[in-house]
Amino acid sequence: MNQTEALVKRLPNDIGGLPADRIQQTDHQLLPWEKRCHALADVLDFHKIINTEEKRRGVEQLGGEMVGKLTYYERWIVVFAFILFEKGILTPDELAQKMKQVEARNNGQAIT
Amino acid sequence: MATHDHDHEHPKSADEPAPGYYEIMETALRELLIDKKLIGPGEIRRQIEVLDSRTPALGAKVVARAWVDPEFRARLLANGRAVCESDFGISFYDDTQLIVLENTEKIHNVIVCTLCSCYPRPVLGLPPDWYKAKEYRARAVKEPRAVLSEFGTDIPEDVEVRISDSTAMVRYLVLPQRPAGTGNSTEEQLAALVTRDAMIGVVKVNLENRNTL
Amino acid sequence: MNSKMTSASPTNAKATRQIVKALGEEPAFKAGDRVRISVRYPVGHYRVPIYMRGKRGTVEKILKPAAINNEEEGFGRNAGSKGFYYRVAVPLTELWPGYAGPPQDRLVIEVFETWLERI
Repeated sequence: MNQTEALVKRLPNDIGGLPADRIQQTDHQLLPWEKRCHALADVLDFHKIINTEEKRRGVEQLGGEMVGKLTYYERWIVVFAFILFEKGILTPDELAQKMKQVEARNNGQAIT
Repeated sequence: MATHDHDHEHPKSADEPAPGYYEIMETALRELLIDKKLIGPGEIRRQIEVLDSRTPALGAKVVARAWVDPEFRARLLANGRAVCESDFGISFYDDTQLIVLENTEKIHNVIVCTLCSCYPRPVLGLPPDWYKAKEYRARAVKEPRAVLSEFGTDIPEDVEVRISDSTAMVRYLVLPQRPAGTGNSTEEQLAALVTRDAMIGVVKVNLENRNTL
Repeated sequence: MNSKMTSASPTNAKATRQIVKALGEEPAFKAGDRVRISVRYPVGHYRVPIYMRGKRGTVEKILKPAAINNEEEGFGRNAGSKGFYYRVAVPLTELWPGYAGPPQDRLVIEVFETWLERI
């Protein structure tokens, strides 16, 4: 079997039964933005703008490196962007412009 | 430029770190969706209140009631979601169903979601990080007894360990066994014994592991 | 002439026998059926973990009502074309060669009807 087939056949989240270390019984209090992100997911699903299964599929499509390196809610927010673009609800440029405005606002700068 | 009803904005104190890349993305997406009237300005705030209201204390009440009331227990095991809604007002704000898994002398249930992080959020709140992390998800379906040992739980060889892997619209709540020596406890006292981890199934309920919350 | 229509009347019984269910209304499997999880490798979104492919188990419960195939839901299907999910129980000895625990330990997992074969 072509060795890259395994990358396509096994989604990065499909880890049941794979070797793994001792469980680290960690937890953290959600940061405010993470809680807003979770609430956003619920609201998007309620409206079926992005349903929960689409979100899961989107996270899978980020691929192994991003799934491994982004945190749980970081993955979600990037996936929301991708799916909203896919559905023609937003364009990448709209989001980029808005992010620039938000950042400027945070820095107390004039919005250009 | 029009002012926006920036949902959940709060003045930043000098000590708070500046919002990072992903927080900026979250803020931007939320504001764009509100601008386009795809979501209402108060919806996120409201859903945060919903989420904050769901904690393991809700599940603990359900468990305690099942321990003292056999008729409630039977109804709960027949339709978890309907009975949580009707008897405790625990609304299920998503499309999920709930199956309550009863632990007995012969069967010890444990829940996991190997593919993602399915968890009975309406009745337990948000899952702990370890439940969503690779180690638990990979090993719980392959060596559940070793996993339980890491939580300090040893299940006798003649008891079946039954691990439920969530993949669809059903969520699971483990109904732990009532510990010995609680015959005179009130329902409230019983609920105080029931921890989140007992309702996931990685620990049993015992008199030493009281909730401090 | 008035004939009382009771549930036991011959005319009612005949009408009940004539009810034809639509395709997909009746679950294909029932509790106790022996099944095998299909072996195939979808590109992209799936909800049957690889550790389950080709494994044999027993249907424990039909999940009702019928619901959308979540592999299609992941690509935006929000309504229509519903089918049944089943809770399938599989011994851990079936899943993992050399499983170290007792033989009665089991895994139970929801599987959509398109992944189940009768054995």
